[in-house]
Amino acid sequence: MDEIQKRLIKCFQIVFPDLPDAEIPTASQSSVPAWDSVAAITLLNVIEDEFQITMDLEMAADLDSFRRIEEFLQDQLSAV
Amino acid sequence: MTISEALEIIRAKPPDPQQSYEVALACSFTPLHLQTFLTAYLRLRKPALNFSIKPGTFGDLAGSIEAAVSNDSLQAIAIALEWQDLDSRLGYREAGNWGPSLETVILESADAALRRIGAAIERALDTLPVAISLPTLPFPPAFQAVAGQVNESELVLRQQVAAFAARLATKPNLSVLNSDWLAEESPLGSRLDLKSDLLIGSPYTLRHAAAVGSGLARLLTPAQPLKGIITDLDDTFWNGLVGEVGPDAVRWDSASPYQLHGLYQKTLCALADEGVLVAIASKNDAAVVDEAFRRPDLLIPASKIFPIEVHWAPKSESIARILKAWNISADAVAFVDDTPLELAEAASAHPGIHCLRFPARDYAGVLALLKEIRDLFAKCGVNRRVTDEDRLRLHSLRSGAEFSKQAEAGGSRDFLRDIEARLAFDFDVSLANPRILELVNKTNQFNLNGIRVTAAEWQKKLSRRAAFLFAVKYEDRFGRLGTIAVIQGHQAHCGIEVETWVMSCRAFSRRIEHQCLKLLFERFQVPCIEFQFAATRKNGPARDFFAGFLDAPPKSTFSIARDRFESVCPPLYHQVEHLTGVNING
Repeated sequence: MDEIQKRLIKCFQIVFPDLPDAEIPTASQSSVPAWDSVAAITLLNVIEDEFQITMDLEMAADLDSFRRIEEFLQDQLSAV
Repeated sequence: MTISEALEIIRAKPPDPQQSYEVALACSFTPLHLQTFLTAYLRLRKPALNFSIKPGTFGDLAGSIEAAVSNDSLQAIAIALEWQDLDSRLGYREAGNWGPSLETVILESADAALRRIGAAIERALDTLPVAISLPTLPFPPAFQAVAGQVNESELVLRQQVAAFAARLATKPNLSVLNSDWLAEESPLGSRLDLKSDLLIGSPYTLRHAAAVGSGLARLLTPAQPLKGIITDLDDTFWNGLVGEVGPDAVRWDSASPYQLHGLYQKTLCALADEGVLVAIASKNDAAVVDEAFRRPDLLIPASKIFPIEVHWAPKSESIARILKAWNISADAVAFVDDTPLELAEAASAHPGIHCLRFPARDYAGVLALLKEIRDLFAKCGVNRRVTDEDRLRLHSLRSGAEFSKQAEAGGSRDFLRDIEARLAFDFDVSLANPRILELVNKTNQFNLNGIRVTAAEWQKKLSRRAAFLFAVKYEDRFGRLGTIAVIQGHQAHCGIEVETWVMSCRAFSRRIEHQCLKLLFERFQVPCIEFQFAATRKNGPARDFFAGFLDAPPKSTFSIARDRFESVCPPLYHQVEHLTGVNING
């Protein structure tokens, strides 16, 4: 597990405390009932905190799974 | 606090998940992070309580407050008022026109909105504590004005809101968030997140949501104010060493930088007038200090200071004597001195005491100190008014010292017979009397069980069927102590059950507690009384009193039979007055 994945898992643990750790890497908006629009924005803010980046609110709709967010972060952080 | 930290705090389980505390959050926007930060700050301030926040209806602030009033499970309301609540066109999401057409109607519509919100808040204040932040966001560019100029309509709207808040702020249950404090925490220019407002209806930036959440949490969970302040003299109370320069040469006048000491004296005087105890602990020659205290230009008269401990012994010993005279614990007291060594010595000898350094000649430092002192001693919420008892406190402590001296000299029995003690039992206590709840929530020593109650919980106890409540006032030839005890309970099948019994430590050694028990038996004509006792770290005096009627000190709920009471009760000499008849619900 690389560093970005570890830190992203931490973000998910903060926003979705009831989600079992084993299910986080496969989590998506459709598989996690608590992942509503409020949680989606909170998740973006927590990721901003953790990775010290700025994320656009409009991304919330596209970043709808752990895998997609991880890909986005890999792109963003490798570009720095 | 970051959003991640706030969520971590919320995720941690409170020690007792049963102790739930529900707060309504009334705001007309998506509460999102404000809700998160409010919850987190409430948890930080009261870790034992399981806070849950109930948001209201989007776009309907007054309706949310009205709904909260009829929700029995709520214990407080937090309100975040914004300009859009006065007229939705003052927000960014509303399609209505800006400009002259809005200016012509805005004042009338804002007035009507404030009336409805005010009426809802007034209903809420009957039963619940309410904290409100007044509009915190900048006005939208709805009215014409060049940059830097304020539009007339904006001025009138601000005036309307100020008048609305000033009227409500007279109610004891309401606390208004200080906009100056908020400006220090959250600068005006970084409060609005327009994109978040337009996309999801949440206008606060994270930083601003954290600041408003923190402020509202402070108002809803005020800390117990400290009760006494002990101050050093040289280079603290005044500039200079009085033993070196003489009583006439120590200064606090307006010639800079000595005025900082004058401001400190003025603060002490204001605290004394508000019922805070002020004492002096100084290493000095007592005769020299006595002469300095005769100066007419002192900004706090010596009569407002008690005791004055001036000698060459360690200050920790002076503090011990002052705490004994005041009969309060170190954690209810602040000690102010300019010398770090003296502060360290006091802190080591009196764990829990609040040690504050007086930073002589440091203007910003002294201002920060004065603000900190104000914060530590400020009453908030329902108990913020200065009561008669506050004003009586110093006098009753002085007379209490005289009482103790004469009691020791004269022998307790004869002495009590001659002090002309008068007790008044008031069975018709006003629920709006802040002294009652204040006594219940700050008395430690003679306290049946140490349970603290919110205004809503207190109201609930008293509205129960067969509930009773009475307050006790006391005076003797040494002076008036005012309201010194509160007893609350309810009638049960075969007697009465006492749930709350507190008595001020200033009233000890006068057999007032015996007279209260006698009154309970006589008034209710019951063969026994049950007491919902629980031992606390500090309620030894209550436990010792009850142990006199039992075979051993009580550990939990117990009963006292009337026969037992009458066989043990010592002679009572009080003249007793019943202010009204017994007032029992139902």
